[in-house]
Amino acid sequence: MTAPSVRFTDGRLANGLRLIISEDHLAPVVAVCVRYDVGSKHEVLGKTGFAHLFEHVMFQGSGHVSKTEHAALIQAVGGTMNGSTWLDWTNYFETVPSHQLELALWLEADRMATLLEALNQENLDNQRDVVKNEKRSSYDNRPYGAWFHKLQEHLFPPEHPYHHATIGSMDDLDAASLEDVAAFFRTYYAPNNAVLSIVGDVEAGQARAWAERYFGEIPANPAIPPLGDMTLLPILGAETREVVVDRVPLPRHFFGFRAPVLGDPRFDALEVASQILAGGKGSRLYRRLVREERIAQDVAFFSVGLVGGASMVAGQATVRPGVDPAVVERAFEEELERLGREPVTDDELTRARALIETYELEALQRVDERADRLSMFAALLDDPDMINRQLDRYLAVGASEIQAAAAEVLRPDNRAVVTYVPATETAAATTDEETAA
Amino acid sequence: MTLGEILATRPSPGQPRTYDFPPFERLILASGLQVLTVNLPGRPLVTANLIVRRGAGDEPADVAGATILAARAMTEGTQRYPGVELIEASERLGATLHVDASWDAFAVSVDVAASRLGAALELLAELAQRPTFPEPHVARLRDERLNDLLQVKADPRRHVDQAFVSTIYTADSPYARPAAGNEETVPRLTPDVLRGVHASVLDPGRAAVVIGGDLTGLDVSQMVEAVLGSFGTGGDARVATATPAPRAGSAVDHPIVRIYHHPGAVQTELRIGHVGLPRRVPDFHAVQVMAAILGGLFNSRLQMNLREEKGYTYGVGAGFDMRRGAGPFSVRTAVQTAATVPAISESLAELNRIRETEVTAPELAAARDYLVGVFPLRFETPGAVVAALAGQFVNELPDNELARYRGEVEAVTIERIQAAAQDHIHPDRLAIVAVGDADAVAAELGSAGFGELEVVLEELPPEASQGEEEGE
Repeated sequence: MTAPSVRFTDGRLANGLRLIISEDHLAPVVAVCVRYDVGSKHEVLGKTGFAHLFEHVMFQGSGHVSKTEHAALIQAVGGTMNGSTWLDWTNYFETVPSHQLELALWLEADRMATLLEALNQENLDNQRDVVKNEKRSSYDNRPYGAWFHKLQEHLFPPEHPYHHATIGSMDDLDAASLEDVAAFFRTYYAPNNAVLSIVGDVEAGQARAWAERYFGEIPANPAIPPLGDMTLLPILGAETREVVVDRVPLPRHFFGFRAPVLGDPRFDALEVASQILAGGKGSRLYRRLVREERIAQDVAFFSVGLVGGASMVAGQATVRPGVDPAVVERAFEEELERLGREPVTDDELTRARALIETYELEALQRVDERADRLSMFAALLDDPDMINRQLDRYLAVGASEIQAAAAEVLRPDNRAVVTYVPATETAAATTDEETAA
Repeated sequence: MTLGEILATRPSPGQPRTYDFPPFERLILASGLQVLTVNLPGRPLVTANLIVRRGAGDEPADVAGATILAARAMTEGTQRYPGVELIEASERLGATLHVDASWDAFAVSVDVAASRLGAALELLAELAQRPTFPEPHVARLRDERLNDLLQVKADPRRHVDQAFVSTIYTADSPYARPAAGNEETVPRLTPDVLRGVHASVLDPGRAAVVIGGDLTGLDVSQMVEAVLGSFGTGGDARVATATPAPRAGSAVDHPIVRIYHHPGAVQTELRIGHVGLPRRVPDFHAVQVMAAILGGLFNSRLQMNLREEKGYTYGVGAGFDMRRGAGPFSVRTAVQTAATVPAISESLAELNRIRETEVTAPELAAARDYLVGVFPLRFETPGAVVAALAGQFVNELPDNELARYRGEVEAVTIERIQAAAQDHIHPDRLAIVAVGDADAVAAELGSAGFGELEVVLEELPPEASQGEEEGE
């Protein structure tokens, strides 16, 4: 079985907009993705959460579209749409019946060209409230809700742009002004800072003509400020630990490691390693901690690909009632260290590769996933063809590559351990942890 | 043309490509087992789903959770493949094998490359027919469920979902219970109980195998016959029986308000509603359009009011969870604590408004055109097509149910929407169930006139109770 190759064209309009088009006529559906090269890593201290708040503002109307009309127009033709913001990027996407492609392109062009014509204080205040409620429901009012942010704080130093959460702080959200929004738009929302990908049931020439028509005249910003140097030491240098007392019934450990950037072959090796460590009931951590020793309620291990100096790989284990959290931590860490000490077996590698092949095939079935990946690989790695090489890269990972990457990354002096403990168990757990801190 | 002129003109749509829900073929094996196949050229990843019309809603109350636990325990070993060997064998094929149980059905499914379908079906058949339910692992899974129940109470979203259904349904309805069982029933779930569940699932008269993907050149019926031809016909064979819908009585006959106290919570999780509708309801399509306008669309009435005007919430939705029996109708949201009472007021106002006044023609058009237009987008992959056909089988819907869907939605009128709202939304027996900081909102809630208020303090947050103390 081989993944079907995704054929696409890749070019730029005169104003710098990168345009990627991929035809696929299987279903009467087309996906559009506009990815801007701006994320929470572009935020400065005191203005955290801004890239994401801005994403909300992009649905509040533009020169020829009223507040919330973007969603109304897309849904009225049977389309789906949304936006998302991450450390490295912000993207906006629509999937529509193929005869409605022009509508989606017009909507994206109108807000890229004329957002400020519709911007007002009332809409900003409203979306600020919405975002604050998003922060409450996704993080603050959720057990263990701050874990990812805490790993960010441990793995990236305070002056590094990955140190703070994409959702931002309540104080910074409160402080965001209309002038901030306008300046952010003028700086980053320019065609030469974006990738437009169009995938699905469309004739490429027609798609290009429409892209040219709606986006071609939008002026570039020749002065997009370069991002500061995000280089980091490859490893932390010393273990870092934190105990968080929270309203949680069971203790849970979160483990984070600083890792090579997305696109580095060692990152691919760590992704395959994640499958072997915690991908389902046959995996090492599940088998040992959950199934055999029965000390953990659940386990997970996964990678978070980033491009600014370092990525993150992370894991978690929930401690069973009555079990010493230190025992669970030790067992988890032993499995990670074993991966760096001895090669995985042929059978483990065979199983991991076969599953990864199926997952890739599954993901690439959908036009929206292909539009997403093409624009992401173009924006982050300047290499949209990575969509066709990713699977081969995974399949090329052998036992020695996994062992080398694990030895380099999954080591104690590159580890952050954040342990959530129930308030009633605070005394005991804190004593345990203090000896290690 | 200038940029301004270009953007000032809204594009008009092109010619739509025709779309029909993909046709399927049905074969009935000698045992009565149905085989539904749908060929989707160009889709090399195949989904196969053995689905049985026997779910958590069909189990006795004293062993609540047995069906879901049985599903979880199936992959702990089979006669031919002890332990995790079956999972390992499927992984070598790049096949993802799953066992899932819902209120309505029990399903064993696999996603696999078409070229390996035969081998994957053999594993699926082994898993479906010969699980062993080894005691030590059943015990472990029971413990995991009991631990999970501790997590439910700490998580406001899961807590409110459970509190809501236990409020609205009578105690003799399975829907009042957590589908995966509670502290009282889970300890009773021995391997023998799970074997009993499994025996009841082995019923070819209530089962179908649904397979979708690029099946070109594959003799799928032959493959299924070879491995599942005797499904359910050995030992405990039973005659195909009608499956009655689970009971779904309403425990509420007047408006009530119940808040579960989570001290210091920064948001209140809200569920407002009552016992709703089963899937087989005559005005299904009018209900779908009505629910989309009320709380389904991105710009639904509730969303425009609570989110886009007031900023009380990140999101609000409303709808009918339709099952073989009458699942719940609810408005679902989480709002900042200070907005609890106004958010409830606005939600109630929207529930009344959709009953009392007709929706506008643009509202009807927006919902209707969305549901009709999004239909092809929903069925891009074999997994989605198979799931839809499995749902059609489980709910005993006619063969043309999916094919006729868009025409039926297009025929919905403003009058039928209002009738659906009046028939199926009942402000006179709404339960308003909240999980939040009662210290901050109970006084205001009590005087708001929503209904009789009950503050539930017994389920203290985890900081005050652990382990054995955490009873119901």
